[in-house]
Order: sequence, then C-alpha cells, then structure tokens
Amino acid sequence: MKISDTLVGVGFVGGGALVFAATLTYPPMDGGHPGPALFPRIIATLMAGFGGLVAVRGVRARDATQEVAWRELFRNPGFINALFVLAGGGAYITLADWLGFLLTGTLVLFVLMWRLAVPPLRAGVVAVALTVVVHGLFAKVLRVPLPAGLLWW
Amino acid sequence: MLASWKVLAVIAVCSAYGLFVGAIPGLTATMAAALLLPFTFFMDPLPALVAMVTMSAMAIFAGDIPAALVRIPGTPSSAAYTDDSYALMKQGKAELVLGVDVVTSAIGGLFGAVVLMIAAPLLAEVALRFTSFEYFWLAALGLSATVMIASTAPLKAGLALLVGLLFSTVGVDITLGYPRFTFGVTELLNGVNFIPAMIGLFGVSEVLRNMGSARLNLPVATVRAEAIFRGVARTLWRYKVNMARSGVVGVFVGILPGAGADIAAWIAYAISRRFSREPEKFGKGAIEPIVDAGTANNACLAGDWVPALVFGIPGDSITAIVIGVLFMKGLRPGPMVFEQQPQLIYAVYISFIIANLLMVPLGYLAIKASSTMLRVPRNILMPAILLFCIVGSFAINNSPFDVGLMLAMGILGYFFEANGIPVAPIVLGMVLGPILEQNFMVSMIKTNWDVIQFFSRPAALILGFLTIATWLIPLAPIFRARGAPAT
Repeated sequence: MKISDTLVGVGFVGGGALVFAATLTYPPMDGGHPGPALFPRIIATLMAGFGGLVAVRGVRARDATQEVAWRELFRNPGFINALFVLAGGGAYITLADWLGFLLTGTLVLFVLMWRLAVPPLRAGVVAVALTVVVHGLFAKVLRVPLPAGLLWW
Repeated sequence: MLASWKVLAVIAVCSAYGLFVGAIPGLTATMAAALLLPFTFFMDPLPALVAMVTMSAMAIFAGDIPAALVRIPGTPSSAAYTDDSYALMKQGKAELVLGVDVVTSAIGGLFGAVVLMIAAPLLAEVALRFTSFEYFWLAALGLSATVMIASTAPLKAGLALLVGLLFSTVGVDITLGYPRFTFGVTELLNGVNFIPAMIGLFGVSEVLRNMGSARLNLPVATVRAEAIFRGVARTLWRYKVNMARSGVVGVFVGILPGAGADIAAWIAYAISRRFSREPEKFGKGAIEPIVDAGTANNACLAGDWVPALVFGIPGDSITAIVIGVLFMKGLRPGPMVFEQQPQLIYAVYISFIIANLLMVPLGYLAIKASSTMLRVPRNILMPAILLFCIVGSFAINNSPFDVGLMLAMGILGYFFEANGIPVAPIVLGMVLGPILEQNFMVSMIKTNWDVIQFFSRPAALILGFLTIATWLIPLAPIFRARGAPAT
C-alpha cells in the first residue's frame, strides 16, 4: 500500500484542516479563553504543517510511487490476503452474535488457512482445535462472555 | 509477594511466550506486549507488571536467534548485528554467536536492573517536588525526543505522534466535559479504547503485513545445543570493556523517552565500530559488535522503566503500553507509587533480576528448540494470531465496536508502516497526550493564562530549555554550515 510522499503529505494537510474545522463549534471557557478546542487545534495546525513539508519533499523527489502501486495492487496476492484478514474481522463482527464464537471463529480460521494454501482437512482440524482452545482460555479461564449463538454451551 | 504460585506461573508462561514470539521473525516484542494486554487486563497490577517485564526481557534476547540462523531479526533490537551473526553462522560458529547472545543479554539486563534500582528512587525524591509545570515540560520533552532524537525520519515520526495525540483528545475533555470527536458514538465517550487500539496497531498490522509476504516458510540451520557455551567466557573476557560501555549506553538510551532497545543496539554498534581495532570486520562476521549491541539492547529495557516508574513517561513503546494498562487499573505511575505502593516497584526490580537470571537456562532451551520454532508454519500461525487479536479486543468490554476499532487501527498501522511512518510514536502520543494537555490546562488556569510562569521554577526552566533545544536539533546543520570557514 505504498503511495507517494506527496499524497501522504496532502492527506495529512487535509486531515489537519478537517480536524480544525471540527473544533469550530466547541465552546470556549469562561472569559473567552480556549477550552476543549485548544489542543486539537494545535495538533491540527502542526499536522497540516508537517504534512505540507512531507508533500513538498515528495514533489522535490519526484516520487512517482503511486503510479506503480495502484496499477498492480489488485493483482498482488499479498494484498488480496490482507483483504481476507479484514473480511475475517468483519465476519466476526457481523456473524458472531448469530452463529456464536465457536462457529464464527472456526469459519474465519478455516477460510484464512485455506487462502494460505493449507490443505483443507488440516485447515479444518486446526481451525476447530484452535477455536476450542481459545474459547477455553477466554470463556472458561478469564470468564469472558463470548457469544454462544447457535451452540448453547 | 513474587513467591506465590500464581506469579511464578506467570513468570514461566510469559518467559516461554516471550521466547517464542521473539524468535519468530515478523512478531515483535511490542506486538507480544499488545497481545498480552487482554490477559493483563484481568490480572492484578503486580502479576501484570511481572508478565510484561519477563516477556519483554525474553523477547529481546530471542530475536537474536533467527538473526543468526536465517538472517532475519526476530525483533528490531537484533537488526543491528544480524549481518555479523549470520556471517559467523555461515563460518560454522552459530553456537558461539548464540552463546554470546544469551550471556550478554543476561549481563546487560542485570546491569540495567541494578541501575534501575539505584536511579529510580533517587529520581522519585526529585519528582515529588514536581508541579504541573514540570510535568508538562517533561511530557513535551519526551514527545520531542521521540521525534527528533529517537527517529530516523523526524517528519513522519512527528506525524505519527500527532495522530496519537489526536486520538488522546477523543472523548470528554478535562476542562468543560465537552465530548470531542465522538460523532455521537457512546463507546467513544471514554476515549479511544487503549487495548484494542494497541492490538490493532501492533498485532493486526503485523498479520496484514505477514499475510502479504511472499515467503511464508523459512529454511533453517540446525544448532548443536551442547556447544553453545564453548568459548563464550574467553570471548566475553576479551571484550569486557565493551560490555561495560554498552551497558551504560543501553541504560542511558532507555532512560530517554521514546528510545527503545533497537536504538540502543544501533548506537552501541556504532560506538563499537568507532573504538574497535578491527572495524573493517564489522558486517562481515565480527563477534565484537554482537557483544556490544547484545548487551546494550537488554540493558535498555530496564532503563526504559526509569522514566516510566518515576514520572509516568514511557521509555519505549512497551512501557507505554504498560502505563496505559496501569491507568486503566486506576494506578498512576509516578513518585507517589514509591511511597504508597512500593510493592509494585519492588516487583518490577525483582522481575528483572529473575528474568535475566532465568534467561541463560531458558535461552539455552530456546536455542535448542529454535529449529522447531522457526519451522512453525506461518500460514497457520498468522490466522491463529488474528483470532487472538479479535477475542482479545472483544474481551475488554464485550463489545464488537472494539473489534471494529482494532481492525481500523490495524489498517492504519499497516498503511503507516508501508509508507515509512513509524507506528510506535502513536502509542506515545496516546499515553502522553492526556498528561500533556491536563498539565498544560491546569498550569494555564492556575496562573490565569500567564505563559511566562511555565519558566518560573528552576526545574521547569531547565526542562523547558531542553525541550526547546530538542526542537532546534534539525536546524543544527544549518548553523554548522554558516559557522564553517569559507574555502
């Protein structure tokens, strides 16, 4: 996910501006002294300043990284693997309450290991075993109320 | 207090955990600390501190193992001498390298622990007299040092620090109780939850990076464990001055806020080359830099705890994580802890001593098992780590929101590292931000917004001067060029 320093710098300048704008509605303290807005505004200003310097440095170095990176990004299996990781986390958030931790955890592990070329049988066995171990550690030892879902134990 | 079976079990388990994580390339000591967080959250403060100290000491040593065997440092603190370690392994001296690694790590760690035990109480006496002015400048100095001194890319480190400071402003502000950057989300009223954020930044981002790597399994050399300590005593006696010097370097770097074991190792390596009689051998299979840097990085660990215990200012990202956990338990590291809860301080001291004494026998076992550890299939390890990250984040508040926060932080960490923006300053910003803002606002309010008062006390004046001097470091080359005589 490498992009040019110019884009990174511009992104931070924009971010700083957004943060500053968000503080415009914050109330001042008694006597008109700055209150909740002070620190975020200092941070926003410095962020825009540092971002600007990074952007200028990127322009001077004629950094053309983003031209190469974007074109090849979706052809990169490593990037696709990373998307699978994020999808795994997203799957937990959306499915865990319905399916429960044991089923969701097993599913996420199995899909990720399958994606990384682990043979399906081994992936299935390891996914089940690992999920049961993690469940035992957190739910039984640390007494974390993991969602039961379709399995009631 | 450390003799209870519970604490001894924590030491044993965390030693094994630290050795395992440190020995696997791609899994850093900071990541190990982040993954340990959910467990320490459920522990009492004393075993939580013992767990972190033991784990980090073992992990920093264990990073030397893959550095020698596969030329990939297990943790960044081993990067400085990876080339020398691997070259010596190719010459058939893997056992000597690993033996020197484990013994210098133990010696460096013990030296650092002794300095910690002497320096911390002395500094605590000074810190008792500190007011909001001194604490403000101390936090500012820590943040400035992180960016200007401890980083090779100050601009980008500064950006990361500012992101961390911004995260620290999320939630209810300390002056008017006004909600900042919560966007109507109830879970954000108490701020960005520290544990899922750390797990995301250091755990999930590493998983994303490793899953994106083409090389998932590593070819590994085998080590003859029975020969590990052969020749070590002779080597260390030959370089005894180096060890003493590097121990001092490591501790001083550790005391500097934001500078961790990796910085200590590089500085010790550079000093070693500067004073060596055979500098041309460095990088090609010299044992001397391994002695120096191996001592310095473990000595630095104890040094990191000096500002953390005395002032609540983290010395590195691991102590930043520990301080965050202590805050969550309602404990505020600082001089009052020395008076009100000295058992926690003694627990840190004794943990360092025990961990470094155990390092030699446990390190021997880790070296013996290194071939097996390094062959753990990463295509199983990475999904397993992700599951731990998900459950660890969920466990804090039983909230899926925290899992989402973890993922968002993971993406942020992954993107930052891919673009050369270090992630560690984010942690420092999140931990020091509240200290900085609170002490600034308290100082301003009590002096009726008179900024001059920030320099009114001698200690505040010195700390303020040091902070401003740190900001001027980037301008030093300009002044030097102007001062140079024309040719």
